[in-house]
Amino acid sequence: MSHEWDFSFLITYSGVLAKALGSTLKLAIVCLAAGMLLGCVFAVARTSRSSALRFVGAAYVELFRNLPAIVLLFWCFYTIPLLTGIGNDRFLTAAVAFSLYAGAYFTEIFRSGINAVDAGQWLAGRALGFTPFALFRDIILPQAVKNMMPAIANETIEVVKLTTVAATVAYPELVYTAKLLSDTEYRPVEAYTAVEGVLLLALLPLAVLLFRLERTMRRTN
Amino acid sequence: MVYEWQFGPVFRYLGLLWEGVLGTLALTGGALLLALPLGLMLALLRLGKLPVLARVAVFYIEFFRLSAAIVLLYWFYFAFPVLFNITLAPFHAALLAVGLQAAAFYAEVFRAGIQSVAAGQWEAARAIGMRRNQTLRWVILPQAIRNTLPILLARLVDLIKTSALAAVIAYPDVVYAAMRIASQTYRPIETFTVLGVGFFVVIFGLSQASRHLERSVAIAR
Repeated sequence: MSHEWDFSFLITYSGVLAKALGSTLKLAIVCLAAGMLLGCVFAVARTSRSSALRFVGAAYVELFRNLPAIVLLFWCFYTIPLLTGIGNDRFLTAAVAFSLYAGAYFTEIFRSGINAVDAGQWLAGRALGFTPFALFRDIILPQAVKNMMPAIANETIEVVKLTTVAATVAYPELVYTAKLLSDTEYRPVEAYTAVEGVLLLALLPLAVLLFRLERTMRRTN
Repeated sequence: MVYEWQFGPVFRYLGLLWEGVLGTLALTGGALLLALPLGLMLALLRLGKLPVLARVAVFYIEFFRLSAAIVLLYWFYFAFPVLFNITLAPFHAALLAVGLQAAAFYAEVFRAGIQSVAAGQWEAARAIGMRRNQTLRWVILPQAIRNTLPILLARLVDLIKTSALAAVIAYPDVVYAAMRIASQTYRPIETFTVLGVGFFVVIFGLSQASRHLERSVAIAR
């Protein structure tokens, strides 16, 4: 093993890397927010009494869960400008593709969280005279959220990892920036090891949170 | 502006697309052959009696679960060969990146499967004089693997989706073939639509098979 490690160029480019990390986090936060919103809407549709709405919810989940993210991203990359007339915006492309993708997973998390709440809770709430909305908000949702927390933490990690795929449409996040730096400095070992390290450090708090949530779940159940 | 869809040019390149399909199959199959035994070994180490090896297994699993597949692909293709002074074809780099990561996911599936077998099975085997590894081989694993078959299949879906990323290191899989066809025909929208439909049919079929299997396993129990 003759490679001489030299991370010094990363210090020279620390501003560029910080900006790249910012771009990664920006995309991740937007996709998480939009994905959870889509998840709420389609989870309500999937648990609704109307069979048409249930079908729409199921179709959404199946369509976006059964496609590789990179294929969805490329498809959006070429199709969004055509449908909307907006020029190629790399952030927009990635945000739309990954929000739709994450939304399908959040739909399933929210749906199973709501379904896991004992049916007797609905009946008891109705018997006490709660309106359906108040019953959902004050009784069902708090219990469902507790059940869903590990899955939400896990999906959050997956979404942050997912944003790295945006490098393939040249969105200047961490991986794309690492590739540029590696190509200009000819230091692939340091560039890719550094980006792996930065991403692991960014995800570590989430992983610890997930571990704690799972432990709490095992204890309370 | 009304877009005129033209699938004709894409279908003239079906031969290239088919070669890509074979590339994807080779990578997915190879990664599966690497990941299944390695995953089982990691699960056994994690549940085993040697704390040091259990720690190593936990570290391996968490490391690869938190790593983004694209970063691993770039690392094994651009950094790993420099570090060890070897040359690595895109196929082998992709095989390592995708296979080693999949092993971490399969390890967790096997662990859950082994833990799902009732403790009484261990005790009964011991009572009739079976040793620990005999019990594992003849009593626990057959039941564990049957219980985990649906999840193993569901994980195959994730593996296929991850393999699709190998195009970023120019491994000639089906996504890479689509990229070439898109640039040769100037028909990226049609090309990626065909690719998306193809992936959807395969992955949706596997997801349905996994669900079907889940029901039959549940009945058999």
